[in-house]
Amino acid sequence: MYECRNILGNPFVFIFGMFFPLLMLFIITRAMRGEAPESYTAVMNTGIFIQLSLIIPMAVVLLGYSASFSEELQEDIPLRLELFGFSGKTTLLAKIAAQFVVLTTGLSIYTIVGYAALDLQVPRVSSALCFIICMILMSVLFFALAHGVSLIFKKFGPTYAILMSFYFGVMILCGMMGLKTEDLPVFFQKIAALLPMSYIGNDFIDFWQEGSYNFAPLIQAYLFFGGVSGIILLLALRREKRNQGSLKDF
Amino acid sequence: MLVAVKNLQVYYGKHLALDIDREIRINEGERIGIIGSNGAGKSTFVKTILGLTDYKGQIITDLKPEEMAVHMQFNNYVSTMPVRYILEAILNTDIKENKKLRELIDFFEFEPCLRKRYKNLSGGQKQRLTIIMVMMQDAPLTFFDEVTSGLDFETRQKLMEKLCGWYQGRENTLCIVSHYYEELELLTDKLLMLDNGKVIDFGVKEELFRKYCGNSIIILDAVEQNRRLVEGCRKLCAPEHLIAVSCGDEQEEKRVSSFLIENDVNFKRSNNDIEIMSINAKETYYQRHGKGGKV
Repeated sequence: MYECRNILGNPFVFIFGMFFPLLMLFIITRAMRGEAPESYTAVMNTGIFIQLSLIIPMAVVLLGYSASFSEELQEDIPLRLELFGFSGKTTLLAKIAAQFVVLTTGLSIYTIVGYAALDLQVPRVSSALCFIICMILMSVLFFALAHGVSLIFKKFGPTYAILMSFYFGVMILCGMMGLKTEDLPVFFQKIAALLPMSYIGNDFIDFWQEGSYNFAPLIQAYLFFGGVSGIILLLALRREKRNQGSLKDF
Repeated sequence: MLVAVKNLQVYYGKHLALDIDREIRINEGERIGIIGSNGAGKSTFVKTILGLTDYKGQIITDLKPEEMAVHMQFNNYVSTMPVRYILEAILNTDIKENKKLRELIDFFEFEPCLRKRYKNLSGGQKQRLTIIMVMMQDAPLTFFDEVTSGLDFETRQKLMEKLCGWYQGRENTLCIVSHYYEELELLTDKLLMLDNGKVIDFGVKEELFRKYCGNSIIILDAVEQNRRLVEGCRKLCAPEHLIAVSCGDEQEEKRVSSFLIENDVNFKRSNNDIEIMSINAKETYYQRHGKGGKV
């Protein structure tokens, strides 16, 4: 409960994680209404819905968690909690659980409001499951990246600057800012191909209700992004250990 | 015995921050004041006992880390929620249902602060929040590391009165680090004097006073007339603006004070002045051990 309050007490989580994706969903679907034939509206809306849903884990986990955790590290709050008898492991598990609860709530609200207000396609069970698994996996990688960068810098400023740049970079590269990935220069398209977000945002609509999909590039992108996040987290944890553990380096 | 420290050395890089070459024992129910100037090793001593620093030597204790409570010099909490939720989460309790917690909140007049966020609390309120949580731990051994630093005189006085009031008649063992000697006079019965990481002395406050200052001392302003008046007396080391005269017994004290009264000189008498005592303890230590602290 404490960690859930801690997440929800950060206004950026509400703004970027709940309000912003819904606002963008309504603005973009309305703006695109005249661009496609009426029979195609549901497919177009659903594509936009899938793409913008990616903002939620990015805002809640990547930005929200890194912002609050780096600020806590800057203020030595984890150490204070350890001195009250809460081990680093307990605190971390509580943070993971709270992130999961808030993320699930955010995605549920987004889905309920989206499906209630817009003409969206209902996915087949396998597609919905695939989408949920991909979202969970991506959130885990975002958490590892956010945790690692926060631990390396231990300061709000540089952590937030780096991950905010990454956030907007991903939004541009994965077509969430109105510009399609295939319209970007080849170099940026290649970078986008390394990110699982671009496959979820651009391709999932192709098998949402029917059809098949080649998952190999998506899995490769997950492996690459997972590798980068994992290396950053490992480097951060090794550095922590070298500094005599979380308790001993203050 | 709660904790025994033997031949302890703590290094920060290559710098020897703490070098305890004798045994320091902390027993049940003791109130120990830890004094020394900046860089003396006071906070390092506390952190080492808490297991927060690497060390060489021995720390013998049966206490588990959770049986030691500490109010650090800097204590911070999140500002994303009112402090009542922080209190309840850390103490794993409900304020409404916890009688002891409510008693502490009332005792420290903290009720109006419960709805505020941590960043909106004043310095004194922030200190009281941690004090309440530390006291709720009711640990066999509690450390207070400069609880009142950064507070104005009035808030400091009030906070210390509250602390003294709460611990009066209780059995908890306390270790109090402070720069303010009057706080230690009120709260402690033993003193650990540190300087440059070395133990200057450790013992019962009154015994240490007698060892370094005599039965009592008479303190007067360091003006030329006063200097001439006390020329024949046994003088102690004192801050530049003061003269401290040592009195070996009651008769000597009466003689010196009557003489000063006859000469219309203002003075202060004390048998527990920690400041004068610590200055003289340091002087004696360095006379015996040399400036490097070695024999």
